[in-house]
Formats: sequence, structure tokens, C-alpha cells
Amino acid sequence: MDLLTSLKISSSGLAANRKRMAAISSNIANAQTTKTVEGGPYRPKEVVFGAEPARESFADILEGEINEHAQEVHATEVISSNRPPILKYEPNHPDADEKGYVAYPDINVMKEMAEMIEASRSYEANISALNTSKNMALKGLEIGK
Amino acid sequence: MDINDKTIDALRASLNFRQMRQKIIASNVANAETPSYKAKKVDFEQALQRALNLDEKQTLNVEDGRHYDVGGGGFDNLTPEIYEASDGVVKENGNTVDKEAEMAEMLDNNILYNASVQLLNKKLGLLKYAIAADK
Repeated sequence: MDLLTSLKISSSGLAANRKRMAAISSNIANAQTTKTVEGGPYRPKEVVFGAEPARESFADILEGEINEHAQEVHATEVISSNRPPILKYEPNHPDADEKGYVAYPDINVMKEMAEMIEASRSYEANISALNTSKNMALKGLEIGK
Repeated sequence: MDINDKTIDALRASLNFRQMRQKIIASNVANAETPSYKAKKVDFEQALQRALNLDEKQTLNVEDGRHYDVGGGGFDNLTPEIYEASDGVVKENGNTVDKEAEMAEMLDNNILYNASVQLLNKKLGLLKYAIAADK
């Protein structure tokens, strides 16, 4: 059914933005992390979004064009960025190298905050699309009353 | 009078298309930040208008069963036009979704959907009233 697919699409948007939010909060929390399990400083995470046709069943595929055009969003991959770390001269730091430099992750907290607001706005937009679809479906039930 | 007249057909088509439009808008909003996603649009007003203008007669008369009915089907063969909107601003990642415009269109679509439901209810109410008139 059409409106159920709309709900599915909007919820995919919610999930993708939640994933993005998780990456952002991880980046902010680890803005000063110099030691990780993989070794070296923390590497900033980036979430990549990709669109996929919203198909629920074989019948939907048969229905054709409209379902090709209505696309869900998925956080397809999480990239650990290769931005080079920032070196600071702190000879007393336990993670300092032999020359006394400590490698800090290259994370701009301002940029992360801005992206967080963007993610939050996207989440809200998806919520409001979800609510509209829900109201339309409920209104449809009133036909004939 | 034919119970299944043009009003009900038109309203049914309009409800269907508005559901489709809601789906496409939901897709645009969900993909507002997907790289190289292009905003889509559904156009059905013109097709619906054409079907309504066919004036009672939904097909050409055929005198023989082997003739084709040209212009066929009125409301049954309506297909909406789905295309990639070309007037959007392209962001640096190749995305063309204008979130504000989508939200506005969603509201608009929702209101007109509700209006169609109300009209359909009024129409059905009239039929019910006529059926129960002698009681």
C-alpha cells in the first residue's frame, strides 16, 4: 500500500540520521583522544548516505515506475577519515613520540556541532513527513463514515 | 442515475495520486542529504483534468467488438508523470532537494487530500440519503 511505503521511507530517513548523529557524537567525544585500539589517534568518522528504491514485495516491483522513483535513504557506509592528525609539542604526554610531539585527531568541534544541527533538522523533517503520511492514512479510514 | 459516476471516479483517482505524491515527497525529504540524489515530482493534475473533460463518455463508441476503443478508459488509464525536478538549486554534492519547498508541498498535498476525503464523504452521504429517502 502506498502510504505504508511512505512510512517506511520516512523511517529509513530517521534511522540514517540517527546513525549520522552517533558518528557526530563519537567525533565530539573523541576530539582529544590520542590512543585507540587500532593504535594512533582517533580517526574521525563520516557517514555516507545512499538512495535505494523502496520495494516491499514482488507486487511492488510489478507496479513499476512509482516504486523506482520513491527511494529510501540508507547510511551505506561509515568512513574513518584519513585526515592527517594534528601534531602538538607536549613532551610530558604519555603518547608523545621520541621528538615530544603528540598526534591529536583533526576534529573541528564547531563543524561537528553545525553538522549535528543539520542532522537534527533532517530528523525533524522526516518526523513531520511521517506524521503527514500517518494522518493521511487515518483520514482515509474515515471514508464512508 | 449511475451510482458510480464521475465524481467518485475523480475523487478516487485524486486520492490515489495524492498518496503517490506523498510517497515521492517522503522520499525527497529522506534523501535531502544523499549525494547526487535528484528531487522528483509527480504531476497528475493535467491527466485528471483531461479525464474529467471527456464529458460522460469515457471512450469512443465502437460498433463492432473488433474495433479498438480509442482514448480508452478515462479514469482507468490515468498515469501520473514522474520526473526529476529541473528547477532546484544544485548543492555541492549534486543533490537538488529543496527541503522547505518539499515541506510546503507536503502540507498542500495533505490539505487537498483531506478535502478529497471530505468531498467523497459528502457524495456518499448524498447517496445514502437518497437510498433512505422513503423510510
